[in-house]
Amino acid sequence: MAATTGGFAGKVLRVDLSTGKISTQDTREKYGDVLGGTGLGYQVLWEEVPPGTGPFDSANKLVFATGVLAGTGVPCNGRTAVTTIFPTCWPKPLVGSGHMGGNFAAKLKYAGYDALIVEGRADRPVWLFIRDARVELRDASHLWGSGIRRTNLEISQEMGADCSVAAIGQAGERLAPMAIVANSLSHSAGGVGGVMGSKNLKAVGVQGSGAVRIAGDKGEWEKLIKFHLSILGGNNQHVVPSFPTPQSEYYNPASRWVGEPGRRWGAAEPPVEITGNIFDLNRIAYRTNSAAFFLGEGAWKHTVRGNGCTACPIRCHTVIKVPSVAAKYGIHETAQNTCSGLNFGRAFFKALPGGFKGPTALEACMVGMHLADDLGLWCNYGQLQRDFLKLQREGLLKAKLGATEYASIAWDKFESGDPTFLFDILPRIGERRGELGQVLSQGTAGLFRHWSMQEDDWGRDHAARYWKMGHPKHHSSEDDGQCGVIINTQYNRDAQCHSHTNFVRNGLPLSVQKRLAAEIWGSPDAVDGAGDYTPMNLHKARRARWSLVRKELHDSLGLCNWMGPWVASPLKERGYRGDDSLESRFYSLATGRKLDREGLDRMGERIFTLHRALTMRDMGQLDMRAHHDLAPAWVFKDQNGAAPFTKGTIRMDRDDISRAMDLFYEVMGWDKATGAPTAEAYARLGLKEVGKAMHAQKLMPGDAA
Amino acid sequence: MKPGKFPELIKLAASAAGMDATLSRRGFLMLSACAVSSLTALGLCEALGAGAPLVILDNARGMILADPSRCVGCQRCELACTEFNDGRAQPSLSRIKIGRAMNFGPEGPTGGPAMQGTWGNGLVVQSVCRQCPHPVLCATACPENAIQADPKTGARVVDARRCVGCRLCQRACPWDMITFDEDRQKASKCFLCNGKPKCVEACPSGALRFVPWRDITREGRAGGPVLSALPAAKARACVECHTPSRKKSSAR
Repeated sequence: MAATTGGFAGKVLRVDLSTGKISTQDTREKYGDVLGGTGLGYQVLWEEVPPGTGPFDSANKLVFATGVLAGTGVPCNGRTAVTTIFPTCWPKPLVGSGHMGGNFAAKLKYAGYDALIVEGRADRPVWLFIRDARVELRDASHLWGSGIRRTNLEISQEMGADCSVAAIGQAGERLAPMAIVANSLSHSAGGVGGVMGSKNLKAVGVQGSGAVRIAGDKGEWEKLIKFHLSILGGNNQHVVPSFPTPQSEYYNPASRWVGEPGRRWGAAEPPVEITGNIFDLNRIAYRTNSAAFFLGEGAWKHTVRGNGCTACPIRCHTVIKVPSVAAKYGIHETAQNTCSGLNFGRAFFKALPGGFKGPTALEACMVGMHLADDLGLWCNYGQLQRDFLKLQREGLLKAKLGATEYASIAWDKFESGDPTFLFDILPRIGERRGELGQVLSQGTAGLFRHWSMQEDDWGRDHAARYWKMGHPKHHSSEDDGQCGVIINTQYNRDAQCHSHTNFVRNGLPLSVQKRLAAEIWGSPDAVDGAGDYTPMNLHKARRARWSLVRKELHDSLGLCNWMGPWVASPLKERGYRGDDSLESRFYSLATGRKLDREGLDRMGERIFTLHRALTMRDMGQLDMRAHHDLAPAWVFKDQNGAAPFTKGTIRMDRDDISRAMDLFYEVMGWDKATGAPTAEAYARLGLKEVGKAMHAQKLMPGDAA
Repeated sequence: MKPGKFPELIKLAASAAGMDATLSRRGFLMLSACAVSSLTALGLCEALGAGAPLVILDNARGMILADPSRCVGCQRCELACTEFNDGRAQPSLSRIKIGRAMNFGPEGPTGGPAMQGTWGNGLVVQSVCRQCPHPVLCATACPENAIQADPKTGARVVDARRCVGCRLCQRACPWDMITFDEDRQKASKCFLCNGKPKCVEACPSGALRFVPWRDITREGRAGGPVLSALPAAKARACVECHTPSRKKSSAR
């Protein structure tokens, strides 16, 4: 590694499973313009994976990429983007990425690599051993068929306790599109496990003893990190607590900052009381308790501690201990996860004794985590469970499955809300047993592909929360009106963007949000109250653009877009301002390459535009506006018939959304008619060659179809 | 300095500190650490000569205490240690150690119900330097006297100018708390950040505290390698105090 390198580990590791060839490239030289993460993944796919490649073809590549800030002490880093031709995408597989936290990213950096590119297909099951410069493919025949937990244990025995293992379970081995790769027990990247399985790659174990160097002055670095810590809130960067307290001017019951003094981690031994000042930087880890937020107050007494990614003080993967499940279900009494992973089990039920925040629901969550995080089964942001419930509710499962298979399912347990139902249903899906397993393990796309169900029907159903292309909404109009809609039109899977929702749901009063919005996006009209939307305007389009650019930036720097950006803070003395230039200041100090906010944002925009070009190329589609950037019918309908822009409805207006897209394309510098980037847009972002290639394929605005 | 002078000086110091009444040869060892404080105060250390083997160090005045039940496994302490002190993020060089027991606990990936760490019961057991009282194994092992007590904190500190990179200190620490910087070929260890430990400041859950020193070397399990390779001059200094009196007299 060059001594002058800062931020970057320095090398990209490339492993060809077909030939066994292992090689490295210089990261900055080859991929410096796209930073890392999703940017690096998109570039590899753009340059090396021909259009029409299927997700499980050996020509598909799987790119595990971290970023400049991963492995450092910058709060909320620790992310790895796993980019590939995404198997759950309907009707045709296109570029997509799954993102995982945990400790994998840091370990990969310490080993000396910013990214790992996996290509080809091994002729037998293997796992990849990475210890600093020593990289080997090892036999995985003894691991094939095992769950993620055992795989992790046995590889750790072979490598040493301090390695990080990213592994697939049975779902990935069986090429389920709905499969994850997971590391550090509960940190998973969805949808990419089957691609790993198709390459006969069971796991990647990584151990690193090296450094991520900070090019700038260490005193400046320390100062900036402390400043960043001071403007953090709780999970999702909610900057006010959920409880009233004399310590804070504001509170908001919807906030995920739930660590109220007086609460306790009841399952710690002995329990840990939350005490003191809620703003104390040595108390940040107590602010977030995902179990208590999602499962209710009862979860506090089961809380052992918070857990999460390397260097993140916001511990969003709560460790919970429920001793009763050991005897009742024969599973480990502790488990950890957050959000959809935490809710995995209970979400399979239409009703549970004691309700969805009761003790049975908690047990269902424990069983769900035990099974899903071992089989390596993905939920597609809860769509798997919503699809299952819809199919069951509407009698579609009975109609589609053979009578014998249907009758073999433990429906009595489903009806009574018995968590043991999960021991029946989840292995069917994860191990792809029977027709049910074959179809549901493909995600919503499987229902369209095999059971002739109509995508439009799914798009009309409010309860299904389906968006498009096989995936659900992810913080759309329900959270953020037109901004949410625009953002949800842009990807080939669920949008996974949190830049927008983290601001509008940060818990501050609307008046404060509007004051900050005026400073950041030029007008207080850039934000509305949730469920109290006003017609589209230019400032909202600017905020949508900013949100998408920052999402790609974070995913390419190794930062967490579930926490960032940090443009609001809990600090009254700062007028609740955060800092819009934080990422560029960290980037500059880490790498020694000075880049201001605009400069770094331009790199984010470059990455986002590369994703756009890649999608268009692989779709063979110029008119993205008509064929890609779509919103489902439920967005334009209110179940109670309320008109758009009346208080209390999230219903959008079709003409207004059309105008929203106009304005969005305008601020992106894209063609309004097609939503395609123009030659100028490519050139402005240093993507001239990409533009040329698009033009050659008649995918540039003005090209005759 | 002639052999035999050192204990006499200790006795003198102990006397000055009002401890001579209890000073048996065995008690001498237990008290020596306190006594050395007095020695220092009395300026008698100089009398030992600059080149004398440094076997007995003044006790540390502070230490870092780690509470596993509060640890959230974020490794911010490890990163603060190396980033803020060394300008690089490198947990393998951290002088506080979280990563090695984070996944499976101190026993490693054994499987079974007793396993700790993320894959076990969730408990993360941190490793911190105990700033040992006499015998300070790392310092005693050092042939260059490169590990000394910091005058301000009493922390056992590696003087990088004296360190020759022999790694004997690393082999001597039963808690495996010495790090070795392969780039610089120098050993390093917890030096309490000159009295304001970065790790303590960085902990987001208050799992680390900087507290007045006490001897915790008998607590917890010492699992690391202890290779007794004492420099000859230091071995002689050890024997000076540790030889039973009758044998000593017969030997003379």
